[in-house]
Amino acid sequence: AEVEETLKRIQAHKGVIGTIVVNAEGIPIRTTLDNSTTVQYAGLLHQLTMKARSTVRDIDPQNDLTFLRIRSKKHEIMVAPDKEYLLIVIQNPCE
Amino acid sequence: TLDKIIYCCYLNIQVFDEQGKDVTPRPLYRPEPNASLHKQSKILSTQDFSGATGSDFLSSLSTHQTSGINASLVGPFSRTYGSSSISKSTISTTESMADEIVEPGSRRDTAISLSDVQVRRDEIREQLTKEDIDRRVDIYLTETETIWLLDMPTVMVSVESEDAEKLQERNKIYIELCKNKAGNDCFVERMMQTLNGAPKNKEMQCDKILMEDKGMMATSWDLYDSFNALETTLTSSITERSKSIASSSIIDLESVILARIHEEEEDHSEAILKSEKFQQDLFFMERVLMENVFQPKLAAYRQLPEEGEEGEEEEEEEEEQKETAVSSSILLDLSEAQEEILPPSLERLWSYTCEWSDGHNVSSMAWNKLNPDLLAVGYGQFGFKEQKKGLACCWSLKNPMWPERIYQCDHGVTALDFSLANPNLLAVGMYNGTVAVYNVQTHNTTAVLDSSESFDKHIGPVWQVKWIEQDRGTTGDDKGEILISVSADGRITKWLIRKGLGCTDLMKLKRTASERKKLTGEKKSEALISRQAPGMCFDFHPRDTNIYLAGTEEGHIHKCSCSYNEQFLETYRAHKGPVYKIAWNPFSTDMFLSCSADWSIILWRQDSVRPILTFSSTTNVVHDIMWSPKSAFVFAAVNEGQVEIWDLSVSTLDPLIVTFPNPGVKFTTVLFARNTDCILIGDSNGTVSVYELRNMIASDSNKV
Repeated sequence: AEVEETLKRIQAHKGVIGTIVVNAEGIPIRTTLDNSTTVQYAGLLHQLTMKARSTVRDIDPQNDLTFLRIRSKKHEIMVAPDKEYLLIVIQNPCE
Repeated sequence: TLDKIIYCCYLNIQVFDEQGKDVTPRPLYRPEPNASLHKQSKILSTQDFSGATGSDFLSSLSTHQTSGINASLVGPFSRTYGSSSISKSTISTTESMADEIVEPGSRRDTAISLSDVQVRRDEIREQLTKEDIDRRVDIYLTETETIWLLDMPTVMVSVESEDAEKLQERNKIYIELCKNKAGNDCFVERMMQTLNGAPKNKEMQCDKILMEDKGMMATSWDLYDSFNALETTLTSSITERSKSIASSSIIDLESVILARIHEEEEDHSEAILKSEKFQQDLFFMERVLMENVFQPKLAAYRQLPEEGEEGEEEEEEEEEQKETAVSSSILLDLSEAQEEILPPSLERLWSYTCEWSDGHNVSSMAWNKLNPDLLAVGYGQFGFKEQKKGLACCWSLKNPMWPERIYQCDHGVTALDFSLANPNLLAVGMYNGTVAVYNVQTHNTTAVLDSSESFDKHIGPVWQVKWIEQDRGTTGDDKGEILISVSADGRITKWLIRKGLGCTDLMKLKRTASERKKLTGEKKSEALISRQAPGMCFDFHPRDTNIYLAGTEEGHIHKCSCSYNEQFLETYRAHKGPVYKIAWNPFSTDMFLSCSADWSIILWRQDSVRPILTFSSTTNVVHDIMWSPKSAFVFAAVNEGQVEIWDLSVSTLDPLIVTFPNPGVKFTTVLFARNTDCILIGDSNGTVSVYELRNMIASDSNKV
């Protein structure tokens, strides 16, 4: 219930373009974007997260990736990775 | 010399091949029972031993030896052993192998009779048990005698050796022979032709050899993970085994794993959504989003220099200096320079508001003592008729749009304070007189302690609560913290946390008689409804926690001490309306300020009953005042229509900054931020706005 509330708040937040929750196999559990975009984001970000995590752990195996932010010209993509899922939020920070 | 001869008992051993045919190889020769020394020793380790085990072999060796067991002997033996296993069915090959080995062996002496061997082998056979096979056999390695495997005698002899002459002779004879050979009748050459068998080609076909490429990634973290996983599985499997029989536990584990996998597949998506980690991630994500949106404002709060602005300010300062340095008689220049100094102002950064707090009146605010970014705000109406359910929220700097904690209360919240000794305790005072203590660490929304069941609880609204550190040396307790509240029933009570909330009265605020002297004989006296004056506020002396000031609804301010609860030390009378707030000056601790509903703010000195200064700039009820924690001269006052920042070093007649709220909204509370130059203002619509004080000239001196 609290999870639902927080998710709703994030989705309704200022500047948020979309929210995606994908499980480990790449199947979207929750999304506010259309299916093709969701699948595209999920696939690409999954690979990038794996690479980023691999990089972090290569440097120090006891370390692990907790959060990933990609800032581009148009918006910012924030990924919270986990073993079982990926939480992706796309936001347009400035007005 | 090596004395290792094994004679096998041809009679006892039989070898059968796959079809069951008896392929027991017949021996090459049968040794005489009385084997002479020059008998060829046969090292028959081949097919006869195919049935015997290795240790059997060794044990038999041990009994026959005349010197210690030599594992080296097993060397040639094992070679033949191996080779024999390959060529089990073909007799000829093994025999030939045996023949080869016989060669070196033939030089050895043999001296064991067959009968002896036979007997001994039988004995050995019986003694061998399973445990013999399993038991450790000690093998001693020593150097063997040199084993001649190949001996190629030289064909060259030195001329100076002893046999040289003989050899030379022989050589000569040979050469002669070769010469004579040519036409001699003794030597005839003849050629022959052999039959060659017809060669035959045979083709074979086999299954396609499948090739597969496999790639692996070997990163350092992969190795680390596998290593750790291995360790954990080992430990877990060990613990499992220790509980039950090895085989059954493995089966259990497998079945459990299977069951779990099945369940996981079903509930996967739901489990993810419900998992705690997901909640945490959402929490962080929300904060990150907030940060993105509010970043410039938050930076201003923290007084981080904003890009671009710093340069401008520097330019301004330089210009000023230049101007003033040039000439003091050029007033024009000076005035220009002055114009560039921006007047102090309040700049609105952001406001804490959410759907819960909309419509409620902000009644009190308090900072957390340990974490200066955590703010507690209490929502409750002031008037009797407007009462509705109250709310206490904890806001964090990192999330200005949603409070960290929401505590719903049955009655309006009128006072709040965070504890100093236990920074996670929040004391809340309510309109119905209840004092409750919440623990903000947990997500639990019920109060830890509640005074609704205690005996001496307050009957009137609690207008202020505060945690005070006090020396309780007299009572024997250590220096501790106590909660003090003042309420409209005229009591200042001290709450003790002992199995629930118990309280004792520090002071009862009695109505004091007016200064007019009463004639002793007069029977007419003021009819008092109650002997007690409702208390509105109090403040403890910053240096001496025994002394405190209490303000009442009558307009009197009493100075009291914790040691006396009957008498006031002093009474200050000047206000004509209820005193809403009292504040000691944190720097020059002789002065204090009080504000009241009679539209005035009065500055007092401790030792004088007459006020020092009165500030009245508006015709509005002043709800709240607070001294600035940075400067002894600055304080903020909030009345219904505006917020005023007074700077006593600049002017005592007018406030320095005045800010007006949105129309329809009244300001109710004010709070200075401790670590930055910001001020928080609460209003009657449930919004707490954060304003930054800009361009305030800092002055740290204490007032004279």
